[in-house]
Amino acid sequence: MVNIEIDGKQLEVTEGAMVIEAADDAGIYIPRFCYHKKLSIAANCRMCLIDVEKVGKALPACATPVTDGMKISTRSEKAIEAQKSVMEFLLINHPLDCPICDQGGECELQDIAMGYGSDVSIYSEQKRVVENKNFGPLISGDMTRCIHCTRCVRFGEEVAGIKELGATGRGEHMEIGTYVQLSLSSEMSGNVIDLCPVGALTAKPSRFTARAWEMVQHKSIAPHDCMGSNILLHTFRDQVVRVVPKENEEINETWLADRDRFSYEGLNSDERLTVPMVKTDGQWQEVDWDTALQKAVGGISKLLSEQGGEQLGAIASPNMTVEELFLLQKMMRSVGSGNVDHRIGQIDFTDQNDEPVFPWLGQSIVDLENNDAVLLVGCNARHDQPIAGHRIRKAALAGARIMAVNPMDYDFNFSLAAKKIVSPAKLLQELGGILKALAAASNITLPTGLVALVINITVDNTHEKIARELNEANNASVILGLDAFAHPRFASLRAIANQIAVLSSSKLCYLSNGSNSAGAALSGAVPHRGPAGDASALKGKSVTDMFADKLAGYILLGVEAELDCAASAAATEALKQAQFVVSMSAFCNAQVKEYADVLLPVAPFSETSGTFVNAEGRWQSFEGAVAPLGETRPGWKVLRVLGNLFECAGFDYVTSREILDEVQALTANTPLNNDMPWNCPASLVIDAQGFESIVDRPIYAGDCLVRRASSLQDVAQKHQFAIRVNQNVAAHAGLAEGEQAMAKKNDIELTLPVVIDERVPDDGVLVPSYLSHGSTTGEVTLSRV
Amino acid sequence: MIEAIESALDFLPAGLVTLIIIVGKILVLVLPLMGAVAYLTLAERKVIGYMQVRIGPNRVGPRGLLQPIADAVKLMFKETIFPAKANRFLFISGPILTLAPALAAWAVVPFDDGLVISNVDASLLYILAMTSLGVYGVIIAGWASNSKYAFLGALRSAAQIVSYEIAMGFALVGVLVAAGSLNLGEIVEAQRGSLGIINWYMIPLLPLFIVYFIAGVAETNRAPFDVAEGESEIVAGFHVEYSSMTFSIFFLAEYANMILIALLTALMFLGGWLSPLHGVLPASLLEGEGVLALLLGDGIHWLLAKTSFFLFLFLWFRATFPRYRYDQIMRLGWKIFIPITIVWLLVAAAMVVWKIGPWFN
Amino acid sequence: MTAITNYFKSLILVELFRGLVLTGKYFFRKKITVQYPEEKTPMSPRFRGLHAQRRYPNGEERCIACKLCEAVCPALAITIDLEERDDGTRRTTRYDIDLTKCIFCGFCEESCPVDAIVETRHFEYHGENRDDLYMTKEKLLAVGDKMEKQIAADRAADAPFR
Repeated sequence: MVNIEIDGKQLEVTEGAMVIEAADDAGIYIPRFCYHKKLSIAANCRMCLIDVEKVGKALPACATPVTDGMKISTRSEKAIEAQKSVMEFLLINHPLDCPICDQGGECELQDIAMGYGSDVSIYSEQKRVVENKNFGPLISGDMTRCIHCTRCVRFGEEVAGIKELGATGRGEHMEIGTYVQLSLSSEMSGNVIDLCPVGALTAKPSRFTARAWEMVQHKSIAPHDCMGSNILLHTFRDQVVRVVPKENEEINETWLADRDRFSYEGLNSDERLTVPMVKTDGQWQEVDWDTALQKAVGGISKLLSEQGGEQLGAIASPNMTVEELFLLQKMMRSVGSGNVDHRIGQIDFTDQNDEPVFPWLGQSIVDLENNDAVLLVGCNARHDQPIAGHRIRKAALAGARIMAVNPMDYDFNFSLAAKKIVSPAKLLQELGGILKALAAASNITLPTGLVALVINITVDNTHEKIARELNEANNASVILGLDAFAHPRFASLRAIANQIAVLSSSKLCYLSNGSNSAGAALSGAVPHRGPAGDASALKGKSVTDMFADKLAGYILLGVEAELDCAASAAATEALKQAQFVVSMSAFCNAQVKEYADVLLPVAPFSETSGTFVNAEGRWQSFEGAVAPLGETRPGWKVLRVLGNLFECAGFDYVTSREILDEVQALTANTPLNNDMPWNCPASLVIDAQGFESIVDRPIYAGDCLVRRASSLQDVAQKHQFAIRVNQNVAAHAGLAEGEQAMAKKNDIELTLPVVIDERVPDDGVLVPSYLSHGSTTGEVTLSRV
Repeated sequence: MIEAIESALDFLPAGLVTLIIIVGKILVLVLPLMGAVAYLTLAERKVIGYMQVRIGPNRVGPRGLLQPIADAVKLMFKETIFPAKANRFLFISGPILTLAPALAAWAVVPFDDGLVISNVDASLLYILAMTSLGVYGVIIAGWASNSKYAFLGALRSAAQIVSYEIAMGFALVGVLVAAGSLNLGEIVEAQRGSLGIINWYMIPLLPLFIVYFIAGVAETNRAPFDVAEGESEIVAGFHVEYSSMTFSIFFLAEYANMILIALLTALMFLGGWLSPLHGVLPASLLEGEGVLALLLGDGIHWLLAKTSFFLFLFLWFRATFPRYRYDQIMRLGWKIFIPITIVWLLVAAAMVVWKIGPWFN
Repeated sequence: MTAITNYFKSLILVELFRGLVLTGKYFFRKKITVQYPEEKTPMSPRFRGLHAQRRYPNGEERCIACKLCEAVCPALAITIDLEERDDGTRRTTRYDIDLTKCIFCGFCEESCPVDAIVETRHFEYHGENRDDLYMTKEKLLAVGDKMEKQIAADRAADAPFR
C-alpha cells in the first residue's frame, strides 16, 4: 500500500495501481475516453491528463502508476488547461452532428465537452470525413464521429477474442474498421456499442427510434440462457426499444451477449399473439378471454373425465418464469396428471430419479474463471451461454487448459489444449477412453461393471492428455452442455462424465437449456418430482414419453414444439393427432395454428413480473417493463384463473410475489449439489452405420423470442438451413458445395443445399433439427438431387 | 290631450277607455325608459372606456350606436338555463319581482309641472316603498338558484339595502321637512325661488343631498357598493345562474333603478324641471311662448339634463372607485350616514322652525 | 391634530374627489385603442405566431428529427416520429404540433439546430374544429412554403442579435 493525495484527499492505495483506478475508487472523477476498467490501457486519448507535483508535464492518469507520496491535482490550472486543450483537439475532427446522432444525450464526448471543454475552438479548417462502414445488421458505423480511442479494437482482441476491428492508416488518415469487408461476427459484438464513447458505433436495430432522454429504463433479466445476465430494458411509448447490460460483476460484468441485447425485436414482431383465439370447425376466431378460457377448460375437463389425467400432458419452455412453471405443475397435479415437463432439449431420462434437484453449474459463475482445467462435453458455451464462454475464455487466458469432447469442432475464442471431435454416437466411447486413461494414470480401480465396458476402448494420446490435465489441475470442471443434454444416451454419458469428475476430483457442471431450467426443476415442472425435488409428488411421463405415447391432450406453455423440442418430429406428430391442444404463448405461427385448439396470449418476460433461477442457483426477480400487448395477460394470471376454473385449491394469488414466496419457502433448504450415485451404463457402444446425423442448433434459433428478432436473424442468415459436411464426407457422397442434396433419415426426407464445413467430423452430417425425429443420432443417407 | 283622446274614443265603454288611457300612459313612460336603459349601457361602456383611455364599443352601427340593440337581440336569442336543483317558480319570480317595483315607482314621478301618470300626495312614501321592494327579487333569485355564490350575493344585497334604506329614508325626511309635502311635484315647486340655484335644497340640505345620492348608489348595488355582484369574489352574486332574458331583466331593473335614483335626486335636491337661470336672467326671458323662453325657462329638458348629470356620476364612480369591503359598507351606512342624516334633520327642522332664508322664509 | 385633519378630510371626501379628478382627466385623454382589422401594431421579426417548417432552397426539408424541440417543449405539444429514409438520412415521419396545447414560448424555434421549426408572423388563423388546430408535418411545411420569404427575411434581420 502506498499513500497518495488526490485533490487534497489522502488515500491509501495498492501499489502498482494506476492513478485513475485510485481516483475512481475514491470517487474522484477524471475524464476519460480510451480507458475502460475491463480493457487494457492504451493511453491514446490523453483526456485524463492530471497534474502531478514535481512533474513538469501533465501525465495521463490511466497510465501513471501511483508512487508513495504522490500529490495529484485533477483540477489545477495546469490540469484544466491540459484537459481543455485535449478536448479542443478531439473536437477538431468530430462532426457537429449531435442532433442526428443516436448517441446524443448519452454521449461521453458531449458530457465531457460540456464539463471539461472550452466554448470556442480556434480551428476553422475543414473537418475530415470518413466513409461509413458496414458492420453488419447489428452495429451501425458512422466512422466520421470516431475519436480513435480504440476501445472497440481492444474489446475485439481482449474480450471477444476475435481481431475483427482495427486501425488502418496513420495520423489524420487513421480509420477504424474491419480489416476485410466483413461484418462483426462475435456473439458479443454488441458490446462495442456500449464501449464507444461517441456515436461512431451505435445499435442498428434501434437506430433513429428514440432519444436517450425519452426512454424509460427498467431492470430485467435476460431470458435466453442459464446465466441470467442483468439487463436494462429501455422503453419508449410502451415498447421495448433497446436493451443494454446492467453491470453485475458476479454474472455478466459489463458485457451482454448479442442474443440478449437484440432479441427485444421479437417482442414487437408481427407474429405476436395479442388476442385469445379458438378454433371452431377448423376456423380460427378471435374471442374474448372468458370464451377462450371456457373453451380451454371445457375441452380439458371433457378429456379428463373421459380418459383420465394420464392422457393430458403439459410441456413448458424452460424460458418461462418460476411462478408460471410452479402454477402449471400445481394445476396439472391438482387435476390429476403428473405429465408436466420443461426439459424439451433432452431425450433420455432414464437416470432422472438420481439426478440433482436442479442442473447446477457446480460453482459460481465467477469461479468459472478460476478453473485450471475444463473439459467441455457436448458443450458450445460460446454460442449457447456466451457469458459462461467469456468466463471460460478468461480462465484460458489465465493459463487454464480447456479441452473438449464435442460432436463438432466449434469455433472457440480460446485455444483448446486437447479436443476429440466425433459424431454423437462415439461420444460415449471417447469419454470411456478418458476414464480408462484416468484410471490408468492414477491407479484407481474403476467401479463395478465399468471395466468391462471400457475394456475394448483404445486409449490414445488425447485421452491421456485430457486425463492428465484434469488430474493435475487443482481446480477442474467437467461441463456438460446442450449437446450432451440432447444426447440419446444422456444417462450413460452423464454417468461416465460424473465418473471422470469423481476420479479426477473435478466438479461436474451443467450448462442447461433456456434461462430457467434450474428454476423449472426447483418449482417442480418435471414429471418425476414435485417442487424442491419432492419425490412424493404425483409422477407422470417425461416429455419424450408424452410425445411417444401420443396423448389425447396437451397444454403448451411458451413452447413451439416443432422447433423447440429435441424430438421435434415426434412432437409435431403427437400434437397433430391430439384431440385437444391449448397453447399459451406470446407468439403464434402457422404450425401452432394447425395443431392447437385454443391459443391464449401470455406475456413475454418484458411484460410480466417473474423470477429466473440461473445455473449457479441465483434467484433473480424482475418486473414487467411495458404493459402487456393487446389482450395479452401475464402467464401467472392466466394459470391462476385456469386453476380457479378447474376448482383447484390454493390458486388465490393476488401478486406474483405470493407465488414466489411459496416456491421459495418450499425450496429454502435445497442443497447445491451435483453428486449422483453410480449407475453402470449397459453399454457404451451405439450402433452406427454410414453418416451420423448431428443436430444443427443455430445460435439465434433457440427460443420463440430470438427466432423473431429480425436483426439477429439477419446475422444468422449465413447460417441458413443446409446440409453441412466436411470435405471427406462430401467426396465420399459425391456432393459439392452449393449443390442440392437430399438427406433421408428414417422416413423423413429433406432437400437442402450442401455446405462444406470442416468443423463437422468425418462420420457426421450436420442437419437441421427437424430431421432428428426423436433422436439426435441415427444414420442419414445422402443423395444428390 | 287626454280629453281629446277620451272624446275620440267615446264610442267605446267608459271603463275600456280608461284602461286604454292607462295602458297608453304606461307605454309612453316605459318605452322611452327601456330605450334609456339600453342606451345607458352603451353610455356606461363608452364612458368607462374613455376613462380607461380606450374607445369602447364602436363596431355595431355608426359609432357603436346600435350596440344595445345587438346586445338585446343576442340576449333574447340565448337559452334560458334553469339550474338542475333550482326552484323553478321562485327562479322565474326573482327577476319579475325585481323589475316590477323598479317600473312601478315611475308611476308617481313627475317630469314637468303636471306631467305625471299619477299625481298622488304620498308619492315620496310610495317611492320609498317601491324601491325597497326590489330587494325581494334579489333575495328570491339568490335563494332559488340553489348556488352558494348566488345565496351569498343575495344575503349581502339584503343587508346592504336594509342598511342604506335608513339613511336614505332620513334624507328624504329632511326633504319632507323642508318642503312640507310628500308630493314630488310640490317638493319641486317648493324649491322655486327668485334666486334660482340658491333656492334648491342641495344648498341647505347639502349633507342630506350627498348622503341620499351615495345611499342611492348603494341601493342600486352599483360600484363601489357592488358587493352583491362582486364578480371577483362571488362570481356574479345573486344572478350567477341567470342567463338570457332572465338575466337581462335584472339588468333592466338595475338600470331603471339607477335612472330613478338620478331623477329623484334631481327632483328633490336640484329643483327638478326648474331652470337654473332664475335670478341670473331677467324673468321676462324665462316666461312666455317663444322658443328662447321654452329653452331657458322651466321644462322637462332641465330635469333630463340634471338626471343625465347624476347618471354620469354613477358611471364616473364605477370607473374610479374600487369596491368597498363588506364591513366598510356597513360601517359607512350605520356609523356615518345615519348620524349625519339625523343631525342634519335636526338642523333642517331648526331652519324651518326659525324660517331661515332664503329657503324657508 | 393630524387625526382631526384626517377625520375632516375623510368627511369632505377629499381623496374620493381626487380619484374622480384623475379619471375625469383621463376621460379627455387621447385614446390609444388600435382599430385592429384596419390598423395593426408594429411587429418584431421575433414575433411568435403560427409555426412553420422550412425547407432548404433545393426543396429538401430542413428537419432532421433530432427531437430537441419535442424535449424542450414545456407544454408537450410536439410529437415526432422518425425513420431512416432510404437515402440514409434521418427524417421525421410525423411532426405534429397541437396548437391547442402550444403556449407560443418559442423554445422549439430556439432549440432547433437547423432552423427548421420557426414561428412566423402569421397569427390570424383559426380553426373550426380541433383538427384544424392540430398542425401536421404537411400543414407546417405548407405554411413554411407559403411564408418562406418573410421567414428568411426575419431570421436575417434578427441574426446579428443571436
